[in-house]
Amino acid sequence: MLPWMPDRGDRDDVDMTSDIALLAEDLTKFYGQRRGVEGLDLEVRAGEVMGFLGPNGAGKTTTIRLLLDFLRPTRGNATVLGLDPRRDKAALHRQIGYLPGELMFPGRDKAESLLRFFAEARGGVAWSQVTDLAERLDLDLSRSVRTMSKGNKQKVGLVQAFMHQPALLILDEPTSGLDPLMQQEFLAMVRDASVAGQTIFMSSHVLAEVQQAADRVAIVRDGQLVAVERVESLGKRAVRAVEIHFDDPVEPSEFSVLPGVSDVVVSGPVLKCTIDGRMDPLIKAAARHEVVDMLSAEPDLEETFLSFYYHGEGAGDASRAGA
Amino acid sequence: MLPALVRKTWRDDRSSLIGWAVGVAAFTGIYTSFYSQFQGAAELKQDALPQGMLDFLGIADMLSPAGYLQATIFSLIGPLLVLMCAITLIARTIARPEEDGGMELMLANPLSRAAFAWQRVAAAGSALTAIAAIPWILLMIVVPWIGMDISLSRVAAASAGLVALVWCFAGIAFLVGAATGKRGAVLTITGGLAVATYMVNAIGGMLDGWHWVRWLSPFHYFIGTDPLHTGWHPVELLTLVLLGAATTTAGVILFDRRDIGV
Repeated sequence: MLPWMPDRGDRDDVDMTSDIALLAEDLTKFYGQRRGVEGLDLEVRAGEVMGFLGPNGAGKTTTIRLLLDFLRPTRGNATVLGLDPRRDKAALHRQIGYLPGELMFPGRDKAESLLRFFAEARGGVAWSQVTDLAERLDLDLSRSVRTMSKGNKQKVGLVQAFMHQPALLILDEPTSGLDPLMQQEFLAMVRDASVAGQTIFMSSHVLAEVQQAADRVAIVRDGQLVAVERVESLGKRAVRAVEIHFDDPVEPSEFSVLPGVSDVVVSGPVLKCTIDGRMDPLIKAAARHEVVDMLSAEPDLEETFLSFYYHGEGAGDASRAGA
Repeated sequence: MLPALVRKTWRDDRSSLIGWAVGVAAFTGIYTSFYSQFQGAAELKQDALPQGMLDFLGIADMLSPAGYLQATIFSLIGPLLVLMCAITLIARTIARPEEDGGMELMLANPLSRAAFAWQRVAAAGSALTAIAAIPWILLMIVVPWIGMDISLSRVAAASAGLVALVWCFAGIAFLVGAATGKRGAVLTITGGLAVATYMVNAIGGMLDGWHWVRWLSPFHYFIGTDPLHTGWHPVELLTLVLLGAATTTAGVILFDRRDIGV
């Protein structure tokens, strides 16, 4: 075979019998002195939806780029669909759908010609797959990708990632730029893919979207994996800020004794506190008064959930030094 | 059917390719068709310039057909034009898309790193060869048409040298881009090298005892053999082609071994 001919990797040599879609062992990447990710051990089972959470700069993108062979590990290794990301790149990428975190398309094509290029480069994807996805995401394929809004570019990125129905979807911040309606559509696409047996590994810094889509989440901070948890147990841990406006002034002591409630601040009839876990005790206590308004923010990953791991059990010297 | 990536590369470079092709064709066409009108003026111009300047510009005489073609097409502006085209086009194969981020999605297709690099350089290199061959094609038509008294084989030899020179510098540009992923490095290093080796060839010929340094310059293998008077020099042309092939291969190997987009 001539070196510039495309590698027509045979589908059969992708190890689909394995239960493990993605395995990282001591995966480490340093950029000179700067740490990208260090000592990452991670296992994603075939058919699973795994969320990959962490603040910006935590090492999510570095990990993803290692899995795709854009970066070579300083130490350790990764096995993707039973294959080596470097040696088996051609065969492997036939089975991977990838959405970059910083989406940039080559050339000045219209969405249609760009997606036809991807369809062909991946060994011929049925065009109906593309049009179905475009319809689902309400994407106009006749427009030039360069002139599209961020949200529409993101849709093109999603279409190219899902179009060949890959065994593994690696999505870096998949919902960034999408409006809420499209975020819901995206989550539905993830569920459908999961039902079809595809594995999804998606990074995010938004807890809520991962909670809706994922079976488990892996949490990284300062280049290190701090926890892998089932999603059900996440909600219980999530600390959220609550603000209740009463008709009359209330006593702080009445609320500060409640289980899970902390940081109680009362100014006249307004109570502010944070709550860790179930809302029930606070609601029952508040119900004894006349409630005018109640505000409860979505648990913010950056501030509450990660800080739990950071200051709590997961924190090590290295992560503190890197902060 | 050619690989999707090759066709995609041509499509993305389309407007730039057309621009360079039109420019090189216009340059060649206009200069050669002025030959007959130029004869009187050439005498004046040649008398006006000191011999040292003529040597530096690679102009032996501007009166003979060979001298005229040498002075107009092959000595300075012709190589400058096609090399600028080569360097900017080759910078688009890896360095530019790596810097702007567009390369990730091209690499996320089922082909090895080496296959990606070969396909990119094959696409750009073939387009580049076509552009560098435009003077050749046009001269084969224009020279007999306007009745220039020079053997077509010698014109072809010089024209082939221009293509070989482009291959040589395209290989160097590709090596720099594939190894660094930096567009600025491709333009400055390859451009700087082109200027420096041009000077080495020009000045080396003028200084006694320094003639040997010309052997270090690709321009010597292209035009130092005086193909318009002496015809084909296969060894020299092959040297340029092999230099291009070696640097391209080295580029593919280095690209296969490094981190992308850091």
